[in-house]
Amino acid sequence: MASTPAQNGRADTPSRPAPSSSLPPVVGINFGNSYASIAEGLAESIANEDGERQIACAISFHGEEMYIGNQAKQQLVKNSKNTITGFRNLLGKKFSEIPQSEHISSAPVIQHPDLPDTAAYKVQVLQPAPSPLPPASNIGTPAASHAPTPRSEPTPTERILTVSEVTSIFLKSLVQSAEDFLGKAIQGAVITVPATFTDAQRAALQKAASDAGINVLQLLDDAAAAAATTTTPLWTGENLRPDRTQLLVDVGCSAVSLTLLSVREGLSYILASSSIPDIGADKIDDKLIKFFATDFTKKTKIPLTVCPAPANSPADQRAEAKLRLAIEHTKRTISASPGAATCSVESLKEGMDYTGSVNRMRFDMLASPIYASVASEVVKLLASAAVDSHDVDEVVYIGGTGSLPGLDDRLVLEVGLREGVETPFARGTVVGGGVGDPTTILARGCAYQAALIDSLSDSSEEKELKEAFTRGHKASDVKATTKTLGVLFPNSLEGNKELGGTWIPIVYKETALPVRRVVQFDAELTEASKRLAFEVWEVSEGIRVEKIVPPAPSPPSDEDDEELEEIEVKYRVVTKDTLLGAVDTQAKLAVQTKGKSKDAGKWFTTVEVQFVVGIKGDVEVEVSEKGEGGVVERLHVSSL
Amino acid sequence: MAAVQVLPVATPPVPASYKSPSVPSSSRISAPHPSGHRTLLPVGPAYLNHLRLSLHHAHSFSSLDKHLAAERERLAALHGDDVAAEDDLGVGDEKETDELLNLDPKEWKKQDHYAVLGLSHLRYKATADQIKIAHRKKVLKHHPDKKAGTNKDISNSLYLAGINQNTNDDAFFKCIQKAHEVLTNSEKRRQFDSVDPLFLELEEDIPSLTEFKAKNLDFFKTLGPVFELYSRFSNRQPVPGLGHIDSTKAEVEGFYDFWYNFDSWRSFEWLDKEVNEGSDSRDDKRYTEKKNKSERARRKKEDNVKLRGLVDMALGLDPRIKRIKQQEKEAREAKKKGVTPGAPAKKTKQQEEEEKKKAEEEAKKREEEEKVVRAEAKKAKAAAANAAKKARRQARAAEETA
Repeated sequence: MASTPAQNGRADTPSRPAPSSSLPPVVGINFGNSYASIAEGLAESIANEDGERQIACAISFHGEEMYIGNQAKQQLVKNSKNTITGFRNLLGKKFSEIPQSEHISSAPVIQHPDLPDTAAYKVQVLQPAPSPLPPASNIGTPAASHAPTPRSEPTPTERILTVSEVTSIFLKSLVQSAEDFLGKAIQGAVITVPATFTDAQRAALQKAASDAGINVLQLLDDAAAAAATTTTPLWTGENLRPDRTQLLVDVGCSAVSLTLLSVREGLSYILASSSIPDIGADKIDDKLIKFFATDFTKKTKIPLTVCPAPANSPADQRAEAKLRLAIEHTKRTISASPGAATCSVESLKEGMDYTGSVNRMRFDMLASPIYASVASEVVKLLASAAVDSHDVDEVVYIGGTGSLPGLDDRLVLEVGLREGVETPFARGTVVGGGVGDPTTILARGCAYQAALIDSLSDSSEEKELKEAFTRGHKASDVKATTKTLGVLFPNSLEGNKELGGTWIPIVYKETALPVRRVVQFDAELTEASKRLAFEVWEVSEGIRVEKIVPPAPSPPSDEDDEELEEIEVKYRVVTKDTLLGAVDTQAKLAVQTKGKSKDAGKWFTTVEVQFVVGIKGDVEVEVSEKGEGGVVERLHVSSL
Repeated sequence: MAAVQVLPVATPPVPASYKSPSVPSSSRISAPHPSGHRTLLPVGPAYLNHLRLSLHHAHSFSSLDKHLAAERERLAALHGDDVAAEDDLGVGDEKETDELLNLDPKEWKKQDHYAVLGLSHLRYKATADQIKIAHRKKVLKHHPDKKAGTNKDISNSLYLAGINQNTNDDAFFKCIQKAHEVLTNSEKRRQFDSVDPLFLELEEDIPSLTEFKAKNLDFFKTLGPVFELYSRFSNRQPVPGLGHIDSTKAEVEGFYDFWYNFDSWRSFEWLDKEVNEGSDSRDDKRYTEKKNKSERARRKKEDNVKLRGLVDMALGLDPRIKRIKQQEKEAREAKKKGVTPGAPAKKTKQQEEEEKKKAEEEAKKREEEEKVVRAEAKKAKAAAANAAKKARRQARAAEETA
């Protein structure tokens, strides 16, 4: 007892709960420049200790304390000099490469005093005084009391942190949150990385992560992480085929990145991508802050200049910082509900409080220039990939700004997307942290990926597979089809005049080789012959544009003589290119439909068509009737 | 095997005039994008399969299929070990029909508690441990906490507002809890078992005597299960079974003896009408209770009569009884014919009876004789008295005249 005096505030560390069996000990981390999110092995988003699923990428030092996440963001108002934000984009960059004008609202980026050409942050902290030495020996000296000697006052010092160190601290806190949630140690993580990152930046991120004690399973491009989520069985929609052309719209704080993906039964590759650094959610924030600042001036007659706030007016700077924090909430409300959203700031300037509101329409008007530039970039991207806007099957939004319905409306309208295009808004899966929530898509994708890599064993074969998941591995370079293959069932229906039959596409264009597709459908037969015949074709798909003058509304509603504009109507068309084969046979398992439906009395058989396109371009077609003893026909088209 | 896409199409029939075109043998698909033109995103299980295909299986789908099937089997075997490690005492997993899942917890008295817990293959035979395991299994599956996030209609504005719409979500869970409550309480379980819905159903199927004769049913095959069915209600276990055609006389007699004195625990409290808790009227309560009691007694009596009738029927139809009677008769006749000289020491029952009869007859005779003697003695006495009277009268008359 005397030799080990009980220390104050010490308790035995609680034993960790037994690891729950089903969850793999891996996480996915979406590491953005302004916000990060984490998801566990089953791809559910994890909230940190403060209950936030969107964790601000900020670290703030205040006295002896260190704040991480949204608490640190609050420090931007009063303690901006000791608050570090936006550090991810500086990872792996040399000091000389960083433009100096940035980061005026947070801790300044300086040249590291010791390391050459390294960016670092300088923050004021209080260093805790060394704890009093334990008494070397208290034998012989009568112990006056068991209370430990109080510590001395902490001393103010400067602390220099490199960008890599800051990143390590932040990532460590994320993993810590995940460990607290899961109750077991995290053994691996997949982290997102923007497509624009150079190899040096990727290496720097990898190093920062391993410094934080994280075993990085894979660094995943944002687009790949999104694809990982959208190709899971959870991602469902009414018109969502496994083969589709997908447009990813990632509206980040400081940049917009657009990616056009070809998704083919889980395999996906990029058709075209672009990244626009000068538009982003920050621009929307600026507009909104300006709007509220003008409103404040109007209401209180106190002049307030923001975005940018004059350098000589700390009051304006502080007001801007306060508004910037407050509008987070406003934006979320706008995304979630159709009504007006409020913005309240206590003591915005000169002791005056501010409460204002903005409705969706006004907000969309404010953000309109940004929406418009995103839309024009999408148009540019589609043009560069030579993909018609009508061919885009699905739009996926990423990031908090992607939850804004105004952006979706604007894109569908201006880009001219097909009616019935799949968007998370059409499906109604945007808010609520569900699978379609733009703020969690990336983290979920990373978590799926982490669980997948974690499931691979350590045998030599599987190791080879694991290696192939790294970026730029040659196994990911593939050949891909350029035209669509399918079967044509001849008939003379009104709608099928051009082709002369019902066209069923089976292997779509832009599908990686080798490929196998199995499609099942019903074929109607005549009662007399039970003849089953079709042709195998390679076709090219196109878009036919027709200009139609819409019929005038029957009661002329308004008196204005607006000329009725022509409307472009687009149709998907198919032109037959190459006949690859033909089958003419007798069905054996035809069944007559019973009951009272309109098909009653007709004869049907269920046909399964399998296409295998080999790596050299050889095609195997197998047609079989579903069931035992059905007719089976095979076709072969030899390789090029 | 590759995933099969089922398309909601039905192609119209081929016109009779259609002629299959001749295919030029030189036709090929157009050249694919060269390798490297497209770079797959290294994500997802599909990419993993693509890697396996290109790295390990030389682009052969059949080889990959074999590998994946083997892998699945291996995993299934691993999983199977897991299952075997956890002994559920044969509770197993029963299929839950929609009907079952849509039960109304308010109607809990009418539900089949065994079916709700997935024990309908065990029923009254389920042990307390099995009930516990089954309950736990069901709770793990149907606890309302597990269902909180599985709302399908996400686009609904109520959902967006964070209001839980499926308030009826825990209906089946309530049913489970009720079933557990009933089956773990021995008294309640006894009451429920007495009117087990499956038993009632089977009871309906017991053929009547006329049916029996009309359809010429097999005695043992038909009535064996019936008695088996009823044996659950016996306080005395084990219950003797119907047996077979060659059962001994003692067995058959034992069987009928048992069933004529059947000691049943069956009772009918379960079917009681609810005492109206809402009203404070004591009279009301007493009235209902009285009615319930008489109803219970009536049902019990009915049950007893029914069982009695069943045993009577069985006795009447039992081919063994005839056989036994026949055997007895034969034995008797054999006795009569061959009165073996060396056997008098051993008196048969019949002989005993005869002797008894004889003794009785003798006693009767004796009695009758005695009666006659007594009557004669009485007559003599009376005659003597008369004579004495006569003599006295004559003497008096003689005195008067004299």
